[in-house]
Formats: sequence, C-alpha cells, structure tokens
Amino acid sequence: MELRAVRWFQVFWLCGLCLRAGESIPDRPEKLEFPPLQYSPPHADEYRVALKSGPVAYLVPDHELPLVNLSILVRTGAYLEPADKTGLANFTGYLLTRGGIGEKTADELEERLAFLAASLTSGIGDDQGIVNLNLLAKDLEEGLGLLRQALTAPRFQADKLELYRDQTLQALRQRNDDSSAIEARESEALAYGTNAWISRNETDASVKSIAVADLHAFHQKWFQPSNFVVAASGDFDRDSLVSKLEQLFSSWPFSGEVPPPIPTNFAMAKPGVYVVDKDVNQGRVSLLLPGVRRDSPDFPAVLVMNDILGGGGFTSRIMNRVRSDEGLAYGAGSAFPGGVDYALPFRAGLASKSRTVAYAASLVIEEMHRISDQPVSSEELNTAKRSFIDTFPQTFNTKGKIAGQFARDEFTGRHARDPGFWDQWRQRIDSVTQDEVQRVARKYLTPDRAILLVVGKKDEILKGHPDHPVTLGSLVPGGLVELPLRDPLTLTPLDSGTKKVE
Amino acid sequence: MQCRARPHATFDGRSESAHVGRVNYLLRVWLIAGVTAVSVSAQKIPVVEKHLPNGFKLLLVERHEEPRIAGGWVAHVGSANERPGITGIAHLFEHMMFKGTPTIGTTDAARDLDILVQQEQVRDEMRAEEARMRHALRKGEVDDITSPESKSDHYKELEARFQKLIDAERQVLVKNEFDRVYTTAGASGMNAFTTEDMTGYFITVPANKLELWCWMESERLLHPVFREFYAERDVVFEERRMRTESTPTGKFAEQFNAMFWDAHPYHWPVIGWPSDIPAISKRQADDFYQQFYQPDNITLILVGDFDPAAAEAMVIKYFSRIPKGSSPPSEVTTLEIPSVGEKRYYAEAETNPQLDILWRTVGFGHKDSYPLDVLQLLLSGRTGRLYKGLVLGRQSATEAVAQQDSRKWAGAFEIEAEVREGKTTEELEAAIYEELERIKNEPVPPEELQKVKNQFAAAEYRKLSANFPIFRQVLQSEGLGDWHEVNEAGPRLQAVTAEDVQRVAKKYLVKENRAVAVYTRKPGTGGTAEDPDLAGLSAEQKPIIRRVVQALGQETDADKLQQQADAIESRLSSTDPKKLPLQKLILKKLRARVTELKAVPADKKP
Repeated sequence: MELRAVRWFQVFWLCGLCLRAGESIPDRPEKLEFPPLQYSPPHADEYRVALKSGPVAYLVPDHELPLVNLSILVRTGAYLEPADKTGLANFTGYLLTRGGIGEKTADELEERLAFLAASLTSGIGDDQGIVNLNLLAKDLEEGLGLLRQALTAPRFQADKLELYRDQTLQALRQRNDDSSAIEARESEALAYGTNAWISRNETDASVKSIAVADLHAFHQKWFQPSNFVVAASGDFDRDSLVSKLEQLFSSWPFSGEVPPPIPTNFAMAKPGVYVVDKDVNQGRVSLLLPGVRRDSPDFPAVLVMNDILGGGGFTSRIMNRVRSDEGLAYGAGSAFPGGVDYALPFRAGLASKSRTVAYAASLVIEEMHRISDQPVSSEELNTAKRSFIDTFPQTFNTKGKIAGQFARDEFTGRHARDPGFWDQWRQRIDSVTQDEVQRVARKYLTPDRAILLVVGKKDEILKGHPDHPVTLGSLVPGGLVELPLRDPLTLTPLDSGTKKVE
Repeated sequence: MQCRARPHATFDGRSESAHVGRVNYLLRVWLIAGVTAVSVSAQKIPVVEKHLPNGFKLLLVERHEEPRIAGGWVAHVGSANERPGITGIAHLFEHMMFKGTPTIGTTDAARDLDILVQQEQVRDEMRAEEARMRHALRKGEVDDITSPESKSDHYKELEARFQKLIDAERQVLVKNEFDRVYTTAGASGMNAFTTEDMTGYFITVPANKLELWCWMESERLLHPVFREFYAERDVVFEERRMRTESTPTGKFAEQFNAMFWDAHPYHWPVIGWPSDIPAISKRQADDFYQQFYQPDNITLILVGDFDPAAAEAMVIKYFSRIPKGSSPPSEVTTLEIPSVGEKRYYAEAETNPQLDILWRTVGFGHKDSYPLDVLQLLLSGRTGRLYKGLVLGRQSATEAVAQQDSRKWAGAFEIEAEVREGKTTEELEAAIYEELERIKNEPVPPEELQKVKNQFAAAEYRKLSANFPIFRQVLQSEGLGDWHEVNEAGPRLQAVTAEDVQRVAKKYLVKENRAVAVYTRKPGTGGTAEDPDLAGLSAEQKPIIRRVVQALGQETDADKLQQQADAIESRLSSTDPKKLPLQKLILKKLRARVTELKAVPADKKP
C-alpha cells in the first residue's frame, strides 16, 4: 500500500506541473466560467386548434423524418367500470385495436399494419384512455381511415377476447411470484383503502364475467369526439391535417356520455407496520403518507423538499445514508408525486437484505425527522432547484413531447386554469426558500401517521441485526400487523387473514 | 444510477417521432412488396471520428434541436475480461468511478489518502480471517460464513477497527460530490452500465456546460479515488439480491447461462458470483483500472448542440492530460468450444410454465448475424411466425419471442415462450421446433420477407427521436466493436435473401447446438380459479370452504368421509338458516370427494 500512496501523490504532483505549463485547467469545477444559456418554452396557443367536430387538437409539424405520430386522449377510465367487472376498461382499451375494426378482421388489420410498418395501439388506464397511430407520412390517409374505424367500429372479436382473457389470467397467476408485485398491490390497498375503485383488482371471476357486449357498451358510452383531445406531430401540413381531422371526427355514428367526476373518497389505512411474509432474501420496504395534489400552492416547495430528502438520486439524503454510507440498499429514495384529480401518496422505499431491513427503514425515518427539525443548507437548496430549472428544456425536447404535453394539459384542464404554467414554472421553483422547505416537511412528513409496508422473509426480518438494535415494530406507532398473501386469481386471503403479530 | 449491470440493455425504439437536425439520409433503400413499391430512406447518423495522440477515440454527432448535449464514453471492458475469483469486478468498477477524485469528494485529500491506506491494512487482516472462515466452511465447521452470528471474535474486532476508520473518513468526506457538481450545473440522467462486453458512462448536460463535462470526465479518468470501496461492495451485493436472487427466475437464469457457455467467460454473470463480490480487494481494482481504463481502450462520444471544431479542441485540452497506457489491454482469447450435445435444464420456480431455448450462433458483425437478425424479425411480433403459429394457431403459448444476441466475442439465438394454461411445456417445445422446420424447409415468401425489412427500416427512423437515443446507438455499436455498424447494418440486413435465412436456420438451429430450460410452476404458488360454488357465500365463509376443500384433497379414506357426510346431512334440518348454504356446500364437496376416491382403483391411490 505504501507504493500506491506514493504513486497517487506523484500523479497529483505531475498534474499540477503540467497545468502550470499548459493552458490553465482549474482544480475545482466551480472555477470554470460558462457562456449564458437562454431558453424559453414553446406556447400552447401556437399549436392549439379547437376542431369544429369537437376535440381540441395540438398540431406540431416536423419535417425532418417522414413519420407522423397521432395520439387521441379519451375521457374514460377504470373508475367508470362496474365493481364486478373489474378489468372491463383495460379489456376495452386493449381490444379496441386488437379485435378487428370495420371491414377488417383482427388478423387482416395486423397484416396491413405490419406491411405499412405502422403501429396502431390503444389502452385505458385509471382515468384516461389513449389511441396511438404512428406511421410513415405517405400512409397517413390510409392510417386515418383505420383510426376512424377503430374509434367508431371496433369489432371486439370473440376469439380475441378469449385470447386476451387467457393472457390476462396467465398474468394474474404471476401476482405473488415477485415480491415487488406484492408490494405494489398492498401499497395501493393501504394507501387508498380496500374498497376504493383505485385499489380494485382484476380477479378470475371479474375477468371471466366480461362479455363482448360489455366491451361494445363501454366503448360507445365514452368514445365520442367531445371526450377526445388530439396530439399530432410529424411530417404533415397543418391546415391539411386540420381538415383531415375534421373529417375523422365528423358524423359520429353514436352518441355517448360526458364522464362523471372521478370519485376521490379514499381512506388510508391506520398507521402501523404491515408485513407480508414472502420467502426471498431481500425485504422490500414502502413507507406511505398522505400526499398532495399538484395544483396545491405547496407543491413547488414539496418537490424541492422531496428532491433533497430522497427524490434527487445520489444527491439526496436517503440515498447518501442508506446506500453510500451504509451499503444497505442498491436503490433507496422517496417520491412525492402531485396528483391531478386526487392526492397521490408520499412514498419512501428501499430493498435490503432481510437482517438489515429494520435498520435501513429506521434511517429513512431519521432523515424524515431531520428535514423537519432543521433547515436544509443553502447548497442543498440550490442543487435541488438547479436540478429542476436547468433540466427544464427536456420537457419539450422533441416535437412529439410538445404536442403530448400540451394535449395532456388540455385534458387535465391545466391549460384553461393556469395558462402561464410553463412560463412561470422555473420562477415558482426558484422562489422556494429554506423556510418553506422546512414548513412543508413538517406539514407532510409525519412519521407518526405513517404506514410501513414490508414484504419479505418475516422471521429473518424480525430477527434484525446484532450490530443495529432496531426493532421493526417500534418504527411507527400502531404495532405490527401481518397481512396475508392473497390467492393470485381470487385475491382472497390464503391463510387466516390479517392478524396482529405479538 | 438505478440501472446498472443490465447485461443486455435493449433500447426502446418506439419513442416519439421528432426533429433530427443534422441527420442525413444518404442511403436509399427500395422497399418492394407485392404490387406496391415504396421508397424509404434509411437512417444515416453523421458521426465524425477523431483521434487524440494519447489513444482516445472521439465520436461527434452535431444536433441543434435542443440546447443540451448527451455525453459519455465507453470503456472496452466487461465481465468477459475477468477471471474466476474476481468475477463482478468490471461492474464493481463502474460503481467506483462515481466516488470522486483528489479534489472531488473530500475536504482533505492527504488525510483521505492516509485513511485509505490504513483501511487497506485492516482489510488485509480481515482477508486472512476470511480465508480461515472459508476453510472452516469447507471442513463443515460452520454452515454459513455470511451470517452475522458466524463471525469470529477477531473478525468482529477487525470490523470495529475498520468502522473507526470509516468514521474518520467521513470527517473529510463530501458525500456523492461528483453527482452534486453535475446536478447543480443542470445536468441530468447520469448513469452507467456494465455488460459482458463493455462499460458505458453517460450524462446529459446543458449546451453551455460542455467544458464542465470535459473537466469532470477527464478528472475522474486522470486520477480516480476509490473511496468507500467496501460499502460499495455491499451495495453491489444488494443489487445482486434485487436482480438475481429475489426475482422469480433470476437465480435459475443465471445457472442456465452458466450451463450454456462452456469455455467462454460469458459463462459467469456480469454482476459476479456471490463469493467473489465480497472477496474483491481494492488492490485488484487498482490493477484492473491500470489495465483497462487507459486512453486507447476508451471511446468518447458527444451528441448534441455544439460546434464540432470547438468541441474537439475542448476535448483535446482536457483529455490529453491522461497519459498513454504502458501496455495494451489483454484481449479475450478463449474461443467457445463446439457444442456436441443438447443440454437440458429443468427448474421448478414461482413462475408460469415457460421455455427458454438458446442456440450458439455468431457475434457482432459476423456475416451470418444479418440473416439471423432477419430470422428474429420473421419469428417475432404480432404477425410473426411464433405468434401466429403458437399463440393463435396451436394455442399452445400465451406469448413467444425470438432474439439474435450478437455480442462482441460470440452470439446466441434465443426463443422464449410461455405455456398457455391447459397445455404442456412438451407440446410447446415440439410446436416451436415445427415452426423452425418450416423455416428450414420452405423458403420465406417474398412479401413476408419484405414486410420485416420494412418494419426494420421504419424502426430505424423511430430511434432518431432525440440526442440520447442516438448517443446510445453509437455507444452500443462502438462498444461491441465498431460504431460504423449504426449506418452499415441496415443495408446489410436489407440485402438478406430467403435462401440466407434458410441457410442459417439449418446451420445453427439444430439439436446438438442448443440448450433448453424448462420452467414449471412450483406447486401451490399459481392460485386457484374461483370455485363457482362459492358464489352465494359470505366473505367470512369463503375461506372456510377453501380450507375444507384443501383438507379433503389430502384425505384418502372414503369411508371416513362418507360418515362425516352422513352426520352433516342428519343435522341439516336443525342448522341455522344463515349457515345452511355453507353446510350444504361442505356436504356437496364431501360427496364429490367420496365419489372421486371410489372411482380410483386401490393400487393407484396416493
């Protein structure tokens, strides 16, 4: 080791010499000077067209590549499906373009799309549907014809429904195979309550209850032009595409409904440590707390605070403590996503070997206390702000992203409510102060209200580590509750159900 | 750095279409199908190649669509360059490259260095103790040298001494400063990855911060300091647990891979064997660095908003400081031995029944790799042969995909398929071979061949959406051996004929050249379909009947069950009406089991 030490000093010394001799390279990056960089974001109104046929469209021409990308956002979602047919929205969304359209069977459509090297896909999530068309510009006319048929005349072929049902059931069978899937499912149930629409899951029975008629009914109820927002980018002439879109959405063959507001009557579980026993050698931890909506006045400060706490990757405190200091986890961090229609929960998470799960989780809670009890440093605050402000151009770095972001703003109502949002965004972040960071940390990071979910080998995890005398049950109030594994197909508890652990 | 050590990091080409400022379309390919002839220009990324006197290769792609630059470099070293005992070192190294320099990451370089030297001395003693622990394990004196309880007192004492040195190091440590400098400057997406063949490092910086990128990257290549080395080994071990050990098929896939490659170093996992990762010493890491991180083993790549002449001058100014290597890095000389017999691997895992079939084929740039790529396209996708033949036609699979994996030193062709409920792995495997026989025996029709070539050409466009996807393509090709392939693979693939496809299928996809992994579900983990009989029961009653059914399945005494059934029946009239449906159902299940048991001949009873 002596030799190595000498060598390092030599490198250091020689380097210093050549710097003095040659052009100056400073010893610290702060000494570098950079030319200024100006950036202003695009404006939605430059691209916005309110079509006479109903939808609002955002058209961003781009002639560099001979491609066109078209997305239709649809006001629909899983929140609109009946409780005993969970999966209906997903099935309708998937099969809209996979079950035959108009005159074409599903297989004929696939062959035609493959021949054109085009892609036509669709899906319905929790609170939004989407239909995407991506193709060579020369095929736009034909592609729009196919799109019209998909939107107005999906066939929902029975054989394709059966195939997708089988594929879905196969996927359900895997539900307990991976500990991360169990963690995601139980997190949702704990964060929103088991009776909330958002934590309903497909089961063998619900999937088997879906019939072709259900798909047609769900489709016709929500897929109508007044429920659409369009994003288009690529190699087209704006005026010509406007008239093509008017044609696409005209004379709609059925009339649907305006969807009701999204129910938000969620109920978070009681604070406590919830454990699911699973035979793996690494335990997964999720700490959950009530979150915020993104239009909350607190949200910019919440974002900055979370970036410092655990959202900022290697510059964040949780990563520094849990990973770099202690080597207890590969990934460790926190997320504070702002919900659009309802608050999304705060989550801090990590995965560590069974015996150090409790210790690693205790470090996360310590950091939550620290950021509430003491002001963050000005350096941390500055780093967090720069990470939002200077990466901002990436929000709009492709024409597809410009069209997509503005269409999404139209869809969520942000364009109408807060038209200056993107112009003011960097300023809103920049005005966050150390006091505000501490204020929102105190307001939202309340470990005494936390839900701590642990998925892993229970006995080993509860044993803890001799070097770190921390017990899992003492980390948050409410005691230790064992959650049962659920049958992957029926989701009913596999053993005697939820129980307190002594 | 959430995504390190992904052995086959693939790139999603389905990103949004976008401007590609300076990308030219010089190659024209005629795509002819049926009666329609369409013309599509193939992509050509205008890469400018430069060389620095000390050996660095520099690749520049100028693009002005956004005021940012994707920058990075690829070191031509991966797990294939390791040897038994230090497997995983290439990947561990990738982690260590973020630990800083004499000025980044510490407030006192001299003190920091002094502590590092002391740490190594303690570690030498710990290594001697670890050797004794391994000896005890071999003798059967201990069962598990990784559990905290099996550490000797002396080892614990050494650990305590080491911990004191870590505490001392923290006094002068500036945590993750390398990351913080970049983040504060508005950079994003800092990450790195290691594969069998290469180690890649990358980040995106604002266009005005190119000099910062040059400073940071040349500094860490000029004088990296591997501080926090031993904590980082633990991080890597957690990564191994996360990716391999605690996933449903990870540990099986690792063994199957080790079985597939005989002589070649592709045999061991990129992340390393579990006993090697904690045994790697900092000294070994230093030696590895000297050998493989010298300028002529590294290619620098910049894609984005810069003036090429100014960027080149800046790179020369900073990277010329790094001395030329003293001897060239050793190459991988081991050639895989020919496969002489089929290999089969059976695993019971927490997963749906599935097959993974591998054939030895060829590596990057081999003339047969292009027809194998076309074969992959013919087999994959929703109109591909596997989907049509196995998922739709025979209905023996729920999904099936094929992939030609052309690595730097060798390659493999792979088909993966999941068995549809009610079918068997045997049926599915036979069906896959039938599809392959059809390829071998009947030329692919021209329309079908043209279809997959069209798809390939369109997918090439879709990869040109932004700086970073272009950067990744150039880095990937260069890491595998030659960046020119980003522009040259397309025309070579378009030139493939139906006869070429038949020829490579016959040559490589044969029995003695393959290894087959057969996964079946570990009993009791796949769930049970909802019994329609349970429909009228309350939520509390359903689990009761499930337990009853489970217990009945294990009972083989028909007479005993018959007696129980009779007893329940006699009580039905006096049963609480709320419990009546439950009791009736228990009775039904009992009788069904009795009938079942009586139908089985006595000698076949379990």
